[in-house]
Formats: sequence, structure tokens, C-alpha cells
Amino acid sequence: MMMTAQQQINEAYKRKIARRNTGIMIGCGALLIISFIISMNTGYAKLSPLDTLRTLFGGGTAKENLILFDFRLPRIVISILVGMGLALSGCILQDISKNPLADPGLLGINAGAGLMVILYVMFFGAKSFMSVLTLPFLSLTGAGTAAIIVYTLTYKKGDGIAPMRLILAGVAVQAGISALTTLLVAKLDETQFSFVATWQAGSIWGSNWKFVMALLPWLLLLIPYVLSKSHLLDILNLEDGIAYSLGASVEQERRKLLAAAVGLAASCVAVSGSISFVGLIAPHLARRLVGPKHRILLPTCAMVGAVMVSTADTIARVVVQPSELPVGIIVAIIGAPYFLYLMKIKSRQQ
Amino acid sequence: MNSIQTENLAISYEDKLVVESLDIQIPKGKITTIIGPNGCGKSTVLKALGRLLKPKGGIVYLNGDDIRRLTTKEVAQKMAILPQSPQAPAGLTVGELVAYGRFPHQRSLGRLSSEDKRIIQWALEVTKLTEHETTAVDKLSGGQRQRVWIAMALAQQTELILLDEPTTYLDLAYQLELLELLHHLNRQQGCTIAMVLHDLNLAARFADYMVAISDGEIICHGGPEKVMTTEVLRKTFNIEAKITTESSTGRPTCIFYDLIKQQVIA
Repeated sequence: MMMTAQQQINEAYKRKIARRNTGIMIGCGALLIISFIISMNTGYAKLSPLDTLRTLFGGGTAKENLILFDFRLPRIVISILVGMGLALSGCILQDISKNPLADPGLLGINAGAGLMVILYVMFFGAKSFMSVLTLPFLSLTGAGTAAIIVYTLTYKKGDGIAPMRLILAGVAVQAGISALTTLLVAKLDETQFSFVATWQAGSIWGSNWKFVMALLPWLLLLIPYVLSKSHLLDILNLEDGIAYSLGASVEQERRKLLAAAVGLAASCVAVSGSISFVGLIAPHLARRLVGPKHRILLPTCAMVGAVMVSTADTIARVVVQPSELPVGIIVAIIGAPYFLYLMKIKSRQQ
Repeated sequence: MNSIQTENLAISYEDKLVVESLDIQIPKGKITTIIGPNGCGKSTVLKALGRLLKPKGGIVYLNGDDIRRLTTKEVAQKMAILPQSPQAPAGLTVGELVAYGRFPHQRSLGRLSSEDKRIIQWALEVTKLTEHETTAVDKLSGGQRQRVWIAMALAQQTELILLDEPTTYLDLAYQLELLELLHHLNRQQGCTIAMVLHDLNLAARFADYMVAISDGEIICHGGPEKVMTTEVLRKTFNIEAKITTESSTGRPTCIFYDLIKQQVIA
């Protein structure tokens, strides 16, 4: 194909953008690795970077092995996975609701998952998590129920899911479930209460490999599915009329993606408690970095989420040593000002 | 030969029956304009033809096939529909948006073939957007933005394009430019075009075939000379219009109109 001068300029520009986006991805990856290394070296028990490295390659003492492989590593892995899952879930929810403020918390997903966990704790006790693997199922039941309620409230025959109604119904359901949760929490005994309080604030509590194993299969299933829908998400991001005109089965695909987003959020919330703000901010940050095309946006979003949660978890472990803060609080402390900043920029642009 | 044809089409909108029984035809290879007063159901009809609205009853035939029997992707390969003044996601470039037009022809992962790329370049070229390919859509002027959506519809390579008031919010020169472009596409590519237009004179000037709708019913249909008459406009819009033939285009033109005076009963 013969190209005109203008087309050559365009091609060159597109290559430049593609290179820049690859650079940003590599940058995010590097940040993640750095945060991983710092996190490995941080904690109550002091381990020098060299000790850490030696231990990682199998030369550690029993104590070092215990600290690194049984305490720190699973926790870091969980924080990375949770960050990815929540960020992707938030991104999809923002797309299909066409509302930049949508996140798993707003649609009652976190609250639904939380309610189920509290019910479980009430009836079986805080120490009874014999099988951690049931936790995601439990949370998924709660989150799924909340999502189905929101969906039924929103769905209108002939008009489908209107984004505005989706958010309104989500907020209402979330408020209802939260009220119920507060009521139940008042009835808990002391150990149950402290467990629930920590869980609600979002902490990567008691992380061990069992929790990783409970979360990993869900993400291995859902993340590739979501990534395979990149192109479709681009189309769904357009107005419904245009998306239909282009031949997307809008309602059907939206339902599938909603289910995937609920699954991602619920499985993460099950092991990490409700960490707010990641699902809201990571997609915004990623969109600012690489633009709205999902083939690059989704991976970037996942990385940003992973960096956010793993960094927040590292900070959570150091600021008030020897005790620690729930990671959710750290994310909120960093996330809220950033979000206000974003809103200020947006309002100035308009 | 009709591109689209309906049979007893009934459409309701939020529990209100807007159209009771409509038989409308969109002739193949022609430019059809649909006129009618606000709230007469013309946009609703267009949406129902483009399967954006599910009719309450009746059948829409696309090239003689019942549209319900076709998958939405099959329909998308034959018909594109542009709603009124659509918005693009922030930061999306012109080239990226136009590339979405290839969606109905692609596999699910959305890699562009060299054929896709050639068609996208062609669509940018005819809409004079090549130099804006890498510009964000939300940075363009209203007229350019409207051309981007048309380019996307062109990249879809359908034989039929439906447009809902494509000239809304455009100033006079841009309105003409856009309609000239559609006219050119119709004559050069044989694209069938059907659009709802607000401006009667533009509607008469660019149409091969006109449909006047009021209250969900067709008042008159046919060539501009047949539809653009004092009689039809009175029935459709409740106005008293003076129509002459404009010498440079040879098309009927409305040069003056007034409200119909209320009849006073003595």
C-alpha cells in the first residue's frame, strides 16, 4: 500500500505511542518488583536484603525460612493478587455502568460478601475457618446475591440496564446490607467482633499459602476471561446505540462481564476484607497513563492495582510497629487525596 | 427493491404506544429523509428499523429477511445506525474510533488485518480526517466529530446507513458539508442512506425519497415534489407553508411558513 506523507506521519506517531505504552507497562512491572523487594525486607523481624536474598535461594536458617516463606511471601503474593483482582473488577464495572465512580464497594458487592462472612462467623465462630477454600464461595454467594438484587432492581424490559439506575440501585442495596451488617455486628461477642472489625477495615489477615490457594484459581479463571474481552469492552464503552449498531450483544455481554467483575471482587474480598478505593482509583490512574483501549488498559490497570495494594501493605506493616494497620486504611489515606486531585483536574479541563 | 420494509410495525415507548401500525419502505440505493414534528415518533421509528428498539409488534425486513432471524452481527454487516450526537470515550483517537467500525467483521481478539487497515484509511480519506487520525475525538470541533462517526459507519462497510439528525448542533456550512458527503457516498458507493432531518429544505434538497410522519403515522411518502407541498406540510406540521421550486437545485423549497390561524366559531 502506498502511503501519503500524512499517513506516514500518523504511522510514526502511532508507533511512538505504542512504544510509550510498552514503556509504561515495563515501568509498572519494575515498580511492582521494587515494591516486592522492599516488602520482603520490611517487617517486625529484621532481615537484611542480603539475608533475604540468601534465604530466597534456599540458604536460610529455619527461622529465616519461616519468616520469609511462611509469613511474608504469602502475604505479598496475596496483596498483589488482590490488587489485580480489585482493580480489574473496578475497571469493568466503570465500563459497563459507564460511570467513572463505580467500584465494587458501590455496587453492594463488598457489603454482600461482608455480610456472608459475618453470618458465617456468627454461626460457626471466628476460629472455625477450617477450610479456607470455602471462604471465596461464601463471599461469592453474598456478593452474587447483592449483585443479582441490584441487577433485578435495575433491569427494565426493553430498556435493559441503564447505567444511572445501576449506580442508584447499587448504592441503595449497599446501604441496606450495611445497615443489616451493623445490626449483626452489635450481637457479636468480643473475639468475633475484633475479627470482623479487622476484616471490614481490609487487612490481609493471617495470610498463609492456604489463602493464596483459595484465591488463585478464581483469578486464573477470571483474569484471562476478562482480558479476552478487551476488544468487546472497547465497544461496550461506546453508547449503547453505537454498540448495538456495531453488532455487539450488549445486554448479554454486559451480564457476563458483570458476573466476572463480581467474581473477581468477591474472591479478593474473601481473603483481604473490603479494601476500598483500589477498584475506584487504579482504573482512573491506568486510563490516564495509557488511554481507554482495553488491550493495554486492562493489564496496566492490574499492575497499578497490584503496586497500590502491595505498597500499602508494606506501609501498613511499618508505620505503627510492632502492631500494624489494616491495609485498607492505608489505601484510603493515599487514595482519597489523589482522587480529589483527579476531580480537580477534570473540573478544570471542562 | 427495498433495503428495509416494515409490516404493521407497532412501537411502544415506556408503556406508551407511539406507533400503532406502520408500513414504511427505505428504497435501495437511494437517499431517504424522514421529516415530522417533534415527538411524532420519527426517531423512534428509525431506532426500531435499526433494531435499537424492540418493536411491540409487526416485522422489520432487511433485504427481505425478517430482522429477528438474523444475528446482531449479521445485521451489523449490512446496516449501520448512528444515534443523535453520540459521545466518544475521553482520550480515544479518531483512528481508534474509526477502527471500531471493523468490529462486526473481526474475530473476538480484534486484531486488524491489512484489509481492515486499508478500509480504515479509506474511510478517513473520504471524510477528510486523515490528518486527524491521531487526534483525540473529544478535541475536535462539532463538525469534525460528526464526520468521525460517519467514518466509523463507513468502515463498517454496510450497504445501508441510518442516521438520526446528523446535522444537529452543526452550523450551516458544516450541515451542507456533511450532507454533501453523504450524497457523494450514495452516488459513488451506492450506499443506501436513510436519515431523520429537521431542516425541511435540506431534507427536500438531498432526498430521492421522502417520508412525512405525524403522530406515528405516515402522512405522505414519495419524491420531494410529492411530499414537500403546502397540503402535506399542513397535515404534518400544522403550518401554512409557501413552496417554490429553487432554480439552482430544481428542488421544492419552503420560503415562508406561518401557524395555521385558529378557526373562530361565530
